[in-house]
Amino acid sequence: MSDERLAVEIRGITKQFPGVLANDHVDLDVRAGEIHALVGENGAGKSTLMNVLYGLVHADSGEILINGKTARIGGPRDAIALGIGMVHQHFMLIPVFTVGENIMLGREPTTAGGIYDSARARREIADLTKRYGLALNADARTGELPVGLQQRVEIVKVLYRGANILILDEPTGVLTPQETTELFVVLRDLVKAGKTIIFISHKLKEVLEISDRITVMRRGKVVGHLITKDTNEQEIATAMVGRAVLLRVDKQPAKPKDVAFKVENLTAMSDAGTQALKGVSFELRQGEILGIAGVEGNGQSELVEVLAGTRRATGGKVWLGDKDVTAYDARGERAAGIAHIPEDRRGAGLVLNYSIAENMILGRQRDAPFAWRHVLLVIDAIRKWATRLMKEFDVRAPNIDVPARSLSGGNQQKIIVAREMASQPRVLLAAQPTRGVDIGAIEFIHRRIVAERDAGAAVLLVSAELDEVRSLSDRIAVFYEGQIVSIEPPEAPEDRLGLLMTGGGRSGH
Amino acid sequence: MATVRRFASGLAMPVGSVVFAFVAGGVLVAVTGANPLDAYQSLVCGGIGVGCTQGENSALQISNSIVFATPLIMAGVAVALPFRAGLFNIGGEGQFIAGAIACTVIGTKFASWPAFLLLPAVLIGGMVAGAVWAGIAGVLKATTGAHEVVTTIMLNYTAQWLLRFLIIGGPLQLQGGFSASPPIAAGARLPTFFPSSNSTIIFGLPASVYRVHTGLIIALVAAAVFAVLLWRGSLGYEIRALGQSQKAARYAGVSVRRTIIVTMLIAGAFAGLAGAVQIAGVDHGLTDKYFSDTTGFDAIAVALLGLGSAVGIVLASLLFGMLQSGGAVMQSDAGISSSLVLVLQALILFSIAANFLGAIVRVIPGLGRRPSAPAPTAPGAALVTEAAATPVEDHG
Amino acid sequence: MTAINQILHLLLTANLWQATLAAAILLLLPALGGVISERSGVVNIAMEGMMLVGAFFAVYADLHLHNPWLATLVAMIAGGLMALVHAVVSIRFRADQIVSGIAINIFAAGLTVFLIGRLYGLQDVGHIGQSDALPTITVPGLSSIPFVGQVFFNQNVVVYVALVVLVLMHVVLFRTKLGLRIRSVGEHPQAADTAGINVFTLRYGAVITSGLLSGLAGAFLAIGVSNTFVPNMTDGRGYIALAAMIFGKWTPFGAFIACIIFGLGEAIYANNSVISASPYLLSMLPYVLTLIVIAGLIGRSIPPAADGLPYVPGSE
Repeated sequence: MSDERLAVEIRGITKQFPGVLANDHVDLDVRAGEIHALVGENGAGKSTLMNVLYGLVHADSGEILINGKTARIGGPRDAIALGIGMVHQHFMLIPVFTVGENIMLGREPTTAGGIYDSARARREIADLTKRYGLALNADARTGELPVGLQQRVEIVKVLYRGANILILDEPTGVLTPQETTELFVVLRDLVKAGKTIIFISHKLKEVLEISDRITVMRRGKVVGHLITKDTNEQEIATAMVGRAVLLRVDKQPAKPKDVAFKVENLTAMSDAGTQALKGVSFELRQGEILGIAGVEGNGQSELVEVLAGTRRATGGKVWLGDKDVTAYDARGERAAGIAHIPEDRRGAGLVLNYSIAENMILGRQRDAPFAWRHVLLVIDAIRKWATRLMKEFDVRAPNIDVPARSLSGGNQQKIIVAREMASQPRVLLAAQPTRGVDIGAIEFIHRRIVAERDAGAAVLLVSAELDEVRSLSDRIAVFYEGQIVSIEPPEAPEDRLGLLMTGGGRSGH
Repeated sequence: MATVRRFASGLAMPVGSVVFAFVAGGVLVAVTGANPLDAYQSLVCGGIGVGCTQGENSALQISNSIVFATPLIMAGVAVALPFRAGLFNIGGEGQFIAGAIACTVIGTKFASWPAFLLLPAVLIGGMVAGAVWAGIAGVLKATTGAHEVVTTIMLNYTAQWLLRFLIIGGPLQLQGGFSASPPIAAGARLPTFFPSSNSTIIFGLPASVYRVHTGLIIALVAAAVFAVLLWRGSLGYEIRALGQSQKAARYAGVSVRRTIIVTMLIAGAFAGLAGAVQIAGVDHGLTDKYFSDTTGFDAIAVALLGLGSAVGIVLASLLFGMLQSGGAVMQSDAGISSSLVLVLQALILFSIAANFLGAIVRVIPGLGRRPSAPAPTAPGAALVTEAAATPVEDHG
Repeated sequence: MTAINQILHLLLTANLWQATLAAAILLLLPALGGVISERSGVVNIAMEGMMLVGAFFAVYADLHLHNPWLATLVAMIAGGLMALVHAVVSIRFRADQIVSGIAINIFAAGLTVFLIGRLYGLQDVGHIGQSDALPTITVPGLSSIPFVGQVFFNQNVVVYVALVVLVLMHVVLFRTKLGLRIRSVGEHPQAADTAGINVFTLRYGAVITSGLLSGLAGAFLAIGVSNTFVPNMTDGRGYIALAAMIFGKWTPFGAFIACIIFGLGEAIYANNSVISASPYLLSMLPYVLTLIVIAGLIGRSIPPAADGLPYVPGSE
């Protein structure tokens, strides 16, 4: 129950960055004790607005009132003093520090001479966690904790500093459905304890579940105020994008043919030295989309890397048709007709400072027709290729020579999708293909993936967005702790999938 | 017109850095009680033969500048190429000396060979020696992640002591007690542009004083090869990708380990070639002059000032050649230690380094690159520190 | 081989180990400077230049003031000023930190010789008197203990100071609130910033500290171990100190162990008159040793996560 007092009033906040008006005279009211959702596409300005509120960014004009009083927020210290706390999308945690050290940072308890008092830190954290029901071990190494617990550390950090207004920026992106449910319980408890919560998200289902009121932003402006219990997904999505949005992909039923990929008992290690794949086996046919559902960190990334040739398997076999491609490296896999849309778009899929043209041949820089005898680049062929692809895949940019860095996330992803699909692959490995991409581009990419399938490719889709997996896949393989725990039809109910994703629901459990 | 404007704006930062250096250097000179104008006048005299007050021959000064510049071009490439891969090759000095030693050894031991065999042999020998010297650091970096700044510097000192060992009472010493090697055979020498006779008078001096040699052509060819390799070669594409993003390079099928090693080998070959050319073209043997050689370090400033491009490196080498020649005149005429040139060099480096991020945000028009090529990428040097500081991981 | 035998015999003498500790301290001070600078996230390869400048100004000041303590102070200030330049260029201008470090080293090399030219007319810099040198301290009683006494309790005052600094830095970095904050700034400056910590102040402080320590090392070298300034007298010690820092995994005591190893190489070379091998080959010893050590590191040496990356506030 929220009362009518306003915890936060944002009036006319405007912020200009070079080349983009991130916030355009934004007004926002947040009532005390409510959970207020702030939604919008990437680049809508939500994060900027909250950064202004938290003092990380200075607005060009406008004012902010906290609990009815005008506030001067020059930096995070001011915001903290006003009782505002922010849990960032990318955690502000230091992996090598303990939980206690991370929570205490900036307000460390000390004994004489400035020595850090870890005993007192432990006591204070125990107090806090008991009060809010958030169990944590103060001496654990933060980097080794599962993501859900790391987020908990962030929340406790914020509470330790006396936050009454909590800003959570895309908190559920990395959580399992179970962890999300737990988080929502925590949030409701916090509200009962008198806190106010601002919840930034683009996940409409969750927004509908947890929030009291919703503010929609688009291109720096506020375009809608909605009351959660009176609205629905379609209405929010339309407001976010400005037009009617297709939330499900239209597709024909699949016509799977021969087996393209046969994976037998694949094992592999992760970067951290743990066993990431513990014996994965499956078949993938031409003309079907196999979706891998699972919370990030259960081995899916490593699976794709082994299949794409950027990680060596430690055991098992991979067959492409009748060829044993287990030991192939990235070049070999590509030559064999395996295309790879990597999950790390900005890190692996593109060289950001390279032009669009140069990025269009990433991975094929030694192959004809782009290279002469594997050593010299054929500029002409490269440019023709890039121009053709840019048009065909609707990459919005002035020309093929601009650096990829200057494009939006969606257009960057389109470069990668274009490059991988235009090679007419036998197998397409698509890892998180629409992460961080705006809705318009998501539609486009989904349609192209289905088109590839219809053209006969075998598609392996890995996504942390359960909706995407369910909407695109012809079969769903659920991944948990390095193994496939079940193969489900796409109509399988969401809670069954969620249960499987967290290790439950199998026979014998 | 647009190309000219781009060219000009691309020059703004390097030129500005040089101007800044001279101004700050002038302040330093003035503060210590000398006249900066005197110092700079003699510097300019030694550099381009203009404004000489003590009867120095202009043509000779220009000739000296070019002679100093020649090895810098190749050594500059030896620094610039690994930069692109995210590697700092501070070992140009050691690789240069390795090349010089190899050239001398081959040039003296195989003295009976005819020129058409011996000359290529000493040059190739220099390249191989330089490549090995750099390769050690490359292999260490690729296999153990050893920080190449530290390893190449250690190799520098090792090379210096090896040189001393060889020509001070060592196996490569000339009889007679001098700290020098025997001269290399005539067949191993690079001809000079002017006839080396004392009877022909050119620009007022006997022709033999002009030491400008055909090594200059080798240097310019080397710079061109570097440009082609980096911008038109598949390997160059991979090297630049590696320097920008290890992850993207691995995704593109590039073996990070192999590319690091190959890049260092090629770089070392360029630096070793510089050393061989210096011996074959100028000194014709090792002398104690090489104990205090700074080619490899000057090359760092050359590579940065030249913005990592072939044309830029040539221009920057000429500038530094002029500074070196000028420094000698400055010391003898104005009494200012030629080490002021080092100070100027450092100031140029600071100025460039501090401007770097600004330059990277704008796409730098590639000096001298043909417009039909794909858009040039900014020098990867600023991103280097991350790559240089993290150990190499390779799953392939 | 007789040379190896001679070296082994040397290893049994207290003299050698006494020299080793002194040589190690000469490396330890800049190494500690590197540790604290890089722990705060600023790559610093300029110790060589800062040491050189410290050495020069120590001699210059001592020749005029005839007071080794004041001269040392001057040397430390000189080192600190050079460090300030590196800090400003790296932090405020966000320059590439390795280039800036190299520039400092070149600047120092050029500046010192240039100043010799201006101040001493391209002649040698003079020698300081015995009484103006940083004194050796012989601890009464303890120094009489056989072997150990000579090695540990008969050293220059700077050695003792350095050992105190060693312990102090370890305590500060790993046990105090200040150290926690310094390390946070080097691992994740954004997290530190959002926690309200001033990233820039801490980084400036750390870099300047490295300059002070390197300046102190320069003073030790010029008016403690030696008694004059010779161009490039630091001879790569600043770079070896870097290797020690990496070997020690950016911890003070780890670096110390590495410095002992490298100091051993130097001490052996200093005794080259009793070893029948070319002194030039022996000179290679410290550098080759460094190479081997760096290459053979057991386990990857991982620097602070944000080391070398300029901090841009508000970037995601």
